[in-house]
Amino acid sequence: MNSQNTLTRELALRIGLAARALPDTDAKRLLTLLTAAIGSPLTDAKLASLDLPTLKTVLIGIDDSDLSRTLYILKQTTEEMDVNDPVLQAYVEGDMPNSVRIACASSDAVLVDGHFGTCPQFYIYQVSATAVRLIAVRNAVLPEGLDVEDKNVYRAELLQDCNVLYIASVGGPAAAKIVRLGIHPMKQSSIQPIATLIEQLQQVIAGTPPPWLAKAMGVNVVHRFHFDHTDDVDNELERDLEATG
Amino acid sequence: MTLYIVEADCISCGDCLPVCPTDSITEGSIVFKIDKKTCTECEGDFDVPQCVKVCPIDNCILPLEAA
Repeated sequence: MNSQNTLTRELALRIGLAARALPDTDAKRLLTLLTAAIGSPLTDAKLASLDLPTLKTVLIGIDDSDLSRTLYILKQTTEEMDVNDPVLQAYVEGDMPNSVRIACASSDAVLVDGHFGTCPQFYIYQVSATAVRLIAVRNAVLPEGLDVEDKNVYRAELLQDCNVLYIASVGGPAAAKIVRLGIHPMKQSSIQPIATLIEQLQQVIAGTPPPWLAKAMGVNVVHRFHFDHTDDVDNELERDLEATG
Repeated sequence: MTLYIVEADCISCGDCLPVCPTDSITEGSIVFKIDKKTCTECEGDFDVPQCVKVCPIDNCILPLEAA
């Protein structure tokens, strides 16, 4: 990585959050646009002098209110943000009906930026259509002196109680080990805030979740699809029932 | 003789679609499905059913016994 591309972690975080305030703009695109507006490298000082008219020249056709919000987030300093020290919330099994447990590979509790095999910790959330709780932060670093056969199996086993795993990247063999433990790995094509992914998941949970997710939520799959299938599928469903008892 | 996909377990990854020698797998409205009229369980083409071989989920594709 050369100095041209180096952002401080706080700055990268702010750009990620600022992109969320904009329609159809991810962090990568915003980064490109900002570089076009104020030049590389992006620094706190340059962003502090960024104004609305300049931002408008690169973000065309976006509401002024969205733009000012973006600008506000970009200019915030870390001290004002209060995002780096997440607070765990108590959770007892059964507290949240129809919920799923997810793990996010993150270095900062804000962005899903971790590679499965190397990220320092996983943030574990319990998510239902209407509620979210951060229930654990699990250290993924192999304890000193512990000798395991396969680091990735050790990591996957840390997440055994989770239904879905969000990561920025994961290798093929590791993904197979994750799937084997019944965890559904979701690799993101770009680095996204945890909050965005949770919102998307909540929409899926509230709408028509795919059968495997409905099963994870404890919803009776067969009854949910009573309306919209043909006889052929009906027969298959009966078979499913017989097969699973 | 035919295989079927357990709807509650299929994650719609689509890995099975290209490996079927008889093109019996299609993407259904909910998950992928196998046409029981054309599935041969790969007999004559392969030693093991190819969809079962590539499916990442255990026990997701099973034989459908004759009714």
